[in-house]
Amino acid sequence: MISLRPTTQRVLVLLQTLALLSTGVTVGAEEISTFPAYIDSDLCSRLMLGPITPERVACSEKTHKEGSNAVIVRLRDNIVLVPNKDKMVKPFVGKMAEVSGELKIKDGRIKLQGAKAFDQATLPTGDPARKLLDVRGSRSPTSPKLYEKIRHELAMMPYITEFDFISFSLQDDTVLLTGWTVRITNRSTAYNVVKNIEGVANIINNIEVLPMGSFDMQIRAGARAALQRYIPRYFWGSGSDVKIVVKNGNIILLGTVATKADSDLAYMQCNQVSGAFKVFNMLRVQSSESAKKG
Amino acid sequence: MKTNRSILALSAVAIAILATSGCSRESKPGFKKMAAGKEDSGFLSDYSKLTPNTRFEGQARSYARADALKNLHKYVAVIVEPVEVYLATDVDEKNLPDNGRTALAQYFQTAVTSAVADAFPVVTEANPLVLRLRTAIVGVDSGSQNTAGAKSENGSEELSRALNITKVGVEMELVDSVSGEQIAAFVDRAPLGAGAEVGAVHFSRYEKFVAARQAFDEWAQRVRDFMDHAHELSPEDAQKASASYRPYGQPGN
Repeated sequence: MISLRPTTQRVLVLLQTLALLSTGVTVGAEEISTFPAYIDSDLCSRLMLGPITPERVACSEKTHKEGSNAVIVRLRDNIVLVPNKDKMVKPFVGKMAEVSGELKIKDGRIKLQGAKAFDQATLPTGDPARKLLDVRGSRSPTSPKLYEKIRHELAMMPYITEFDFISFSLQDDTVLLTGWTVRITNRSTAYNVVKNIEGVANIINNIEVLPMGSFDMQIRAGARAALQRYIPRYFWGSGSDVKIVVKNGNIILLGTVATKADSDLAYMQCNQVSGAFKVFNMLRVQSSESAKKG
Repeated sequence: MKTNRSILALSAVAIAILATSGCSRESKPGFKKMAAGKEDSGFLSDYSKLTPNTRFEGQARSYARADALKNLHKYVAVIVEPVEVYLATDVDEKNLPDNGRTALAQYFQTAVTSAVADAFPVVTEANPLVLRLRTAIVGVDSGSQNTAGAKSENGSEELSRALNITKVGVEMELVDSVSGEQIAAFVDRAPLGAGAEVGAVHFSRYEKFVAARQAFDEWAQRVRDFMDHAHELSPEDAQKASASYRPYGQPGN
């Protein structure tokens, strides 16, 4: 057996410790990504799809001020990421920022490390991150037939309830799925039905699965009971024209109603639901839309 | 002194006898027997609305409420109740080990929960939007005796007598968690467990009990298949859904 001098032993132990520590750091470290992004509100990021227009900026600032959390929209592919702490990005809502953090793309989350102001003019021409900045992206789908096929398949999903809202946009062969759902299966089903449609090459899935805490469940039950009582014509056996998205105590009303009076009534009734913090009324009114088109 | 000690000892024995006799009189929770000559266990709150379901092989019966205000589509989560075990009519329950029956119930509860959770998130509080998922394994029989000893080579306890699931069927119902009204029910008599035995507490880990594990997994999947089918849109609702759905975010919408 070889016996070592005490000094040598101590050096060996120190080297072993350093080796172990460095291994731990390597194993424990997640990859940090840095990228240009648009800081949006959760509400607008999932509804106002497409380029960063003045309307979108106004939506982001207004709804964030009213209580919708800040989220990060990666410019190059439109993916929405929910930050672990929105304090770092709150000052940038409605603006561009360069953010860095550990990405969890599958969950749609980012563990933020930093955020700083970003000048979009510094983006090179042709950079994929310019996609969202090009207002020419704000146009009707190039293939109405493909759009209608996608729309129909999503409408037929069997597990959609009045508490789910799934939307999408189509640009060339890329589908951007978005919205909120109370069921994991809806997020994956939406992706799978769209994936199987001929003509679709890329899918970005920004559908968020909502938590099912008892507080939000009580608000859901209260909101539906109120709306079924006061505007029952919008509800049928397996669905409804009015969608009630409840997230962290806030209610988002979506869908289409016939008149402004119905929209106002829905908003008022949801405001009276016990426990609800804030109601975002995003209902579209059929009569005013027809007038605009006329 | 000796007399006091004797009195104390006798008292202790008496207390012990009273305590255990009280326990043995209580029926074991969740373990019941099929009544003689009856097709159904009595587990469901109502059997009268069940009709044959030809989508499933093996004499399945089912019911799904069609009320516009109270049907499966109106619920978004479930509370999964503990699975109940019904023994076959002619089995001597003293021969069947408690831990074996518990193992069956727990495995099937996990299997059913996994099968439905992505469509029906599992919650713990009753609510007008929540269903109670109640399931029972009916017709468990006694199987072969374990003569090899109490411990398997992996250290997990083998049952003193195996449970035979050849005659087993599944009964399931979904009830409103607030009112208790039955919203859907499914009785499945498919002989998926033919010849299969459960001979260990952690039977799912062992190759020799794979037939039993597969049978339970398949029964759980059939429960899910029933729920999927019950969720399909009627032609009328499909038309309404298509007319109503207008995505946000695309110019012109």
